[in-house]
Amino acid sequence: MRSPTALRLVLAVLALAGCRATEAAEGPQDFGRTDRGRYLTIVGDCAACHTQQGSSQQFAGGRPIETPFGTLLAPNITPDRETGIGAWTDDEFVGALTRGTGRGGAHLYPAMPYPSMTKLSRDDALTIRAYLNSVPPAHHPVVANQLPFPFSIRLGMAAWDALYFTPGAFQPVAGKSEEWNRGAYLVEGPMHCGACHTPKNFLGGDKSASHLQGYALQGWFAPNITNDARSGLGHWTTGEIVAYLKSGHTAGAAASGPMAEEVALSSSKMADADLQAVAVYLKDQPGQDQPAPAAPSDTVMTAGAAIYADECSACHASTGTGVPGLFPALAGASGVQSSDPASLLHVVLRGTRSVATETAPTAPAMPSFAWLLSDDQVAAVATYVRNAWGNAAPAVTGSDVGHARRDLAERTD
Amino acid sequence: MTIRNLTRREFLRDTAATGGAVAVAGQASLGDALAAPPPVADRKPELHQVTIRLNGTDQQLRIDPRTTLLDLLREHLHLTGTKKGCDMGACGACTVLLDGKRVNACLLLAARLDHREVQTIEGLANGEELHPLQAAFIEHDGFQCGYCTPGQIMSAAGLLNEGRPTDERSIREWMSGNICRCGAYPNIVTAIRQASGRA
Repeated sequence: MRSPTALRLVLAVLALAGCRATEAAEGPQDFGRTDRGRYLTIVGDCAACHTQQGSSQQFAGGRPIETPFGTLLAPNITPDRETGIGAWTDDEFVGALTRGTGRGGAHLYPAMPYPSMTKLSRDDALTIRAYLNSVPPAHHPVVANQLPFPFSIRLGMAAWDALYFTPGAFQPVAGKSEEWNRGAYLVEGPMHCGACHTPKNFLGGDKSASHLQGYALQGWFAPNITNDARSGLGHWTTGEIVAYLKSGHTAGAAASGPMAEEVALSSSKMADADLQAVAVYLKDQPGQDQPAPAAPSDTVMTAGAAIYADECSACHASTGTGVPGLFPALAGASGVQSSDPASLLHVVLRGTRSVATETAPTAPAMPSFAWLLSDDQVAAVATYVRNAWGNAAPAVTGSDVGHARRDLAERTD
Repeated sequence: MTIRNLTRREFLRDTAATGGAVAVAGQASLGDALAAPPPVADRKPELHQVTIRLNGTDQQLRIDPRTTLLDLLREHLHLTGTKKGCDMGACGACTVLLDGKRVNACLLLAARLDHREVQTIEGLANGEELHPLQAAFIEHDGFQCGYCTPGQIMSAAGLLNEGRPTDERSIREWMSGNICRCGAYPNIVTAIRQASGRA
C-alpha cells in the first residue's frame, strides 16, 4: 500500500513544482528570459554607447557618440524612473528600439541603430527590456541632443526616416540555410555591422548599393567585410572570421580601435555557433572587386622598402608574414589593402593597442612612428606595404598623410 | 676557486667575504694615502679576465669583480632579453642557463664564471627556427605584458633539461620560482606542456 501513496505524493510535488515553474516563467523572475536578454544586449553591443568607458554604472549613458553632424550623448537606459527608462511602457520601449520613436513621439537620431534593431521581433525587444529591468537603476540625467542647429531639430528625422529607414522585423530568405539566415539576422539586426561598415551618403543614410563595403569613421576605416577578394573577406576562411571575432586576432589581422572595443564587449562573448553563422553570411555577401590600381613608381617602392626594412620588419618580418597571432601579417592582408588607407595611417602615426580577450590575453601593441617619419616617408612605407608581396592598393601621398596627421592630432580619444 | 653549483647561501657568504675584503682594502688605502687621498672616481677596481662561453661563442671579458652576470649581459653585452625584475633572486625574470642548469643571473658574480657556459633567451632559437618553447608561447599566448617571458622560457628550458614530470601540477611546482604579475600562468603552463611533448 506504500507505493501508491508515495507515488501520489511525488505527483503532487511535481504538480506543485510545475505550477511554480509556469508562474516564474511569466514573471519578472524568469531567469531564462533575463539571461536571453543579457545575451541580446551583448550581441547588440548596447554597452558600447550606453555605458561610459570606465564607469561602474552599467547602461547609465552619457558617452559621447561622434557623428558627422555633431555629438550626441547616449541616454541612460537603466530602469531609473526619472532619468532612465523605468517609467516607459513596453510599447514605448519597443518603439524606440525598433522604430526610432521615443517617448511622446519624439524622433530618435539614427546614431541609435534602430534601422538595424528594427529586424528584432517584438518578443526579442521585450526580452532585452527584461534584462535591462534587472540592472541597477542609476540616477543619471543625460541630455542626449548636443547637435548644432539645424540638426538639433528632431523633427528633421521624420524626413530622414522616410528616405532611409525601412521598418520591419527580419524575414528569413527562402532557399538559404538556417545558419545563413541566423547570420543575416545577427549581422543586419542586433549586431548592426552596417552602422560602421556600410558607406553613408551626405545625410548619413546607407548607400545600399555598397552594403558592408567599408566606411571611414572616428579616424579609422571600418573595412570592407563582403567577400571581396582583395580588400574584403575573400581570402578569409569562415574559421578565421570566427577566430577573429572571438579572440580579436588572426594571422592577418588584429582588432584595433573601435573594432577592438566591439570584440571586447560583444563578439568575444558570443556563442561560437552564432559567430559561425555570421561568418557564413558575410562570406556570401558579394563584393565589388575593383581592378588592381596602377603599380606605384619604383622610386616610392624603393624608398618604402628601405623604411620597411628598418622600422617594420623586426615584427612584421621582411616577407610581410608577421608572427601569427602576435604581429599581423601584412602580405595578403585585407586591412592594409582597403581603398581608404585611414586605418593603416592611424596605426603608423599613432600606434595602437589591439584587444585582449580570454583566448588571446596579450593584446600586442604597435608604437607610434609619427615622431620618426615625415609625411613623405609614411606615404612611401604605406604605399610599399599596400603594394608589396602581391598586395595591390592605391598609392598614399604625402598630403594624405599630412591630413591624417592633423586630423589625428585634433582627436581627443 | 671553482664553484660549480652556487647556492644562495654560498652567494651570501661570498658577497660578505668580498665586502669584508673591500672594507679591509679601504682601510689599507686610507692609511697609505692620508697625504693625498685619490678621488673616489679614480679608485679603479682591478679588472678580472674571464672567458665565458655565451650562447655558443667564447667571450673574453675584462670585468669589475662586482658585476653580476645580469648586469654583464644587459649593460656590457647589451643582451637585454634577460630582464631585471627584483635584482635579488625573488622573481625569476633574469633566469638563464648556466651549464644547462637554470640560475638567477642577478645572484651570480660574472667574474666567477670563467670557462662556464651561459645560455640566454637570445641563444635559444636555432637560427630562424624558434625553439619549441618559443613557438608554444606564441601559439598559446603565454605573454601578456611579456616582461617575465624570457625568464619563464629559460626556466622552462631548464625544467625540460632536468627531465621533470610535465603534468600541470609538476610544471607549476617546478616553475614556481618565476613570477608573472599579469597572471598569464594558465597559458604559460599550457605552452610548456605542449613543448614538453616535442622538445
